[in-house]
Amino acid sequence: MQRILNVFVKYRNSILYLFLLGFSLIFLKANSNFHQLKLEKISLFFSSSLYSFSNSINRYFRLEKENQRLLKENEVLKSIQIRSNTLFLYTEGCNNKTNFPFDVQRVNIIKNSFQSQYNYIIIDKGAASGIKREMGVISAKGIIGLVQAVTDNYASVISILNQDMKINVRFKNRTTFGSLIWKGKNPKKFSIEDVVSTSSIKKGDTIVTGGMSSYFPYGIPLGVVTNLENNIQNGYYKIDAELFENPAELYKAYVIENSDFKEINSLMQNIKQ
Amino acid sequence: MNSQILKMMGSFVLLILAQVLLFNQINIFGSVNPMLYLLFLVMYPFDQNQTFYIFIGFLLGFFIDFISQTGGAHTIASLSVSYLRPIIMKYSYGLTSERPKSILTDPRKTNNFVFLLIFISVHHLIYFSIAYFSADAFLLIIKNSLLTMIFSLILILLISSLYRVK
Repeated sequence: MQRILNVFVKYRNSILYLFLLGFSLIFLKANSNFHQLKLEKISLFFSSSLYSFSNSINRYFRLEKENQRLLKENEVLKSIQIRSNTLFLYTEGCNNKTNFPFDVQRVNIIKNSFQSQYNYIIIDKGAASGIKREMGVISAKGIIGLVQAVTDNYASVISILNQDMKINVRFKNRTTFGSLIWKGKNPKKFSIEDVVSTSSIKKGDTIVTGGMSSYFPYGIPLGVVTNLENNIQNGYYKIDAELFENPAELYKAYVIENSDFKEINSLMQNIKQ
Repeated sequence: MNSQILKMMGSFVLLILAQVLLFNQINIFGSVNPMLYLLFLVMYPFDQNQTFYIFIGFLLGFFIDFISQTGGAHTIASLSVSYLRPIIMKYSYGLTSERPKSILTDPRKTNNFVFLLIFISVHHLIYFSIAYFSADAFLLIIKNSLLTMIFSLILILLISSLYRVK
């Protein structure tokens, strides 16, 4: 206590000065509108920079939660988006469930390989979450693959970086169909086959999913045409394409379920028999 | 002692009235008003209690602001300058030299002048910075403080010489 008093006595002039300065600042603020405005500006500057600093720290600690929230939102938006892509196929409206059979579920990719010619992905949801065989897996800007095997909590996915995979694609705003096949080296470089050379395609055309398979709905954007060669001998185009997103760098994905899958499949079985 | 206190109180009141009624209305070159009231802070004896002196500096500025209805620039400037007076003294009279009793009686004329110059310029700079209160008005602040400083300096020198005759 004595020490505190000593400090007060020692610095009494500075303390008095600061006290009176504070008082005169209040006096200044009360008396002059101009100064009031200016002082409020200064205090706003200080408080806002302080708050933005603490806010940035707080935000950092909330990132994980925020991320989860955004992913949930994405899940909803994604399903709306793929619904809207197929509006013209199901003209009755996108809210009607029977007209649009696709459903979206969010998953994390826990293992992703791209070195081999036949790549597989493991995702962290399985039969317990309703994942079944032959469901499509898509990402924010493209497709990832097809569910191949399912355990209770995990599922393996055939990546599109697999030379056995052929994906039915269509050129945006055109009627031409083709098959997307991985070339086997660069994870973004694909080629498109089975496109008849009579169809009109340009370099830079956007490729979307075709909607012919029951795995993926129509209209998920995949990539662009980078190179185009007309092969006169066999009557097919030789097309190089590049994906929007590198499938080897993903760690979040969406599994889409076609609830009419069985129905469509049984029809196919009938045809084969 | 008693008569000296009375004298100080008298000059306190007189200087405030003179400043508010006379020198704030002069407007040389349209806006320059010499600040005579600093004379009180200058001639206040150096050997008195510094804490009380700070308070007096505050009161002086406060009354001038209060009567002339200005914001608080006089208060802040005179308060700050009275807080800084020992430091200014150190620079103008030297660290080791004998502390002068009062600027009116000290024989070191050059040091007195330097002290006065620093004192007034610090006060004016603070005053105009508060009055304009904006970084954009930097040149305006400098210009106004320099101009006002010249007139305040002349006025204070003149009137302090009158005091000395007494």
